[in-house]
Amino acid sequence: MARPSAVPPVVARALRPAHPKCYRHCERETLPHTVRTALPGELRVFACPGGVVSVASYTEWSDRDPQSRLLRELRRRALPPSLVRRWDLRAASRHGPELGRTAERFLERARPVRPIRVVYWRVYPFEVRKIQHRLFACFRHGTGSAVFYAAPFDAAPGECPRCRTGSSRLRRR
Amino acid sequence: MLANWCPHCVPLSDRNVRTLARRLRVPVQRLDIDRPAQLKVADRLVRSHGDRSPDYLIPQVFLEWSDGKVDHLFTGFSEEVARTRRAWHDFLTSDWLRRIEHGSG
Repeated sequence: MARPSAVPPVVARALRPAHPKCYRHCERETLPHTVRTALPGELRVFACPGGVVSVASYTEWSDRDPQSRLLRELRRRALPPSLVRRWDLRAASRHGPELGRTAERFLERARPVRPIRVVYWRVYPFEVRKIQHRLFACFRHGTGSAVFYAAPFDAAPGECPRCRTGSSRLRRR
Repeated sequence: MLANWCPHCVPLSDRNVRTLARRLRVPVQRLDIDRPAQLKVADRLVRSHGDRSPDYLIPQVFLEWSDGKVDHLFTGFSEEVARTRRAWHDFLTSDWLRRIEHGSG
C-alpha cells in the first residue's frame, strides 16, 4: 500500500468545478479557499463573498479512506467542534475515466493503481430556535487558516466567534 | 443507485447509465433508495464496493462482471449538477469505456 499523497496538479485541475454557485443562500459564485491541514491532501472551502460555505472538499490520492482524519482536522477549526458531524462528510472515489482524457491517462500510467479520494463536507441549512442558520467560514486568521461557525442566514461576516473574542479582549485593555 | 428527487440522479445519471448499459450490452438494475427493499441492496453494495459514508452520496454506479466481481464506476459530484454532467460526458468518451466496449479492458 502506497502512502497517501497530494493529488497531482494535472488531476487537481480536472477535479475543479466549473462555476460553483452559492448553495441555497445568494446564488453568487463561490471562491475556493485552500486551507492548510496536517493531512497530505488539499482542503478547499467554497464560500460566497458573504462567508457562507457551500461545500468544503478534501482530495487525496490514496487507498485509504480519509474521512476520520478529515473529521479531526475540521473539528480543530470549528467553533464549536460539534458543528462537524460525521454524517455531513460524504466520500467519493474518482478512478480516472470521469475526469477527462488527460487525467485518465495520467492515473492509468501511475503505479500503484489507486483512486483519488474526495470527501465533501456539506452542512445543509438548519434551524436554531426557529431561525435558519448556515455554516460560515472566516478566513481572517492567517493565510491558509479558517474558522468554521454557524450563524443566522443573513449574518454579517463579523459574527465569527474568534474575531469577536479578539475584539472584546481589545476593549478590556 | 439513485433517488428520484436528486438532480444529479434523475434524469442526468439515469439517462447516462442507460446509454452506458446499451454500449456495454448489459442490463440495468436501478436501485431507488426511497424504496426500503432496494435501499437494503444499495446499502450492502455501498458497504462492500462503494463510497461508504453514514449518509452516502448518490448516484453511485457499479458494474458487475460475469465472474461476479463488482467494480465501483461512478459517484456524483457534490459541487454542482453541471460538474456531474461534465463527468458523465468524460466517462462516456473515456479510453476505459472504449476498451471495455471492444473487449480489451
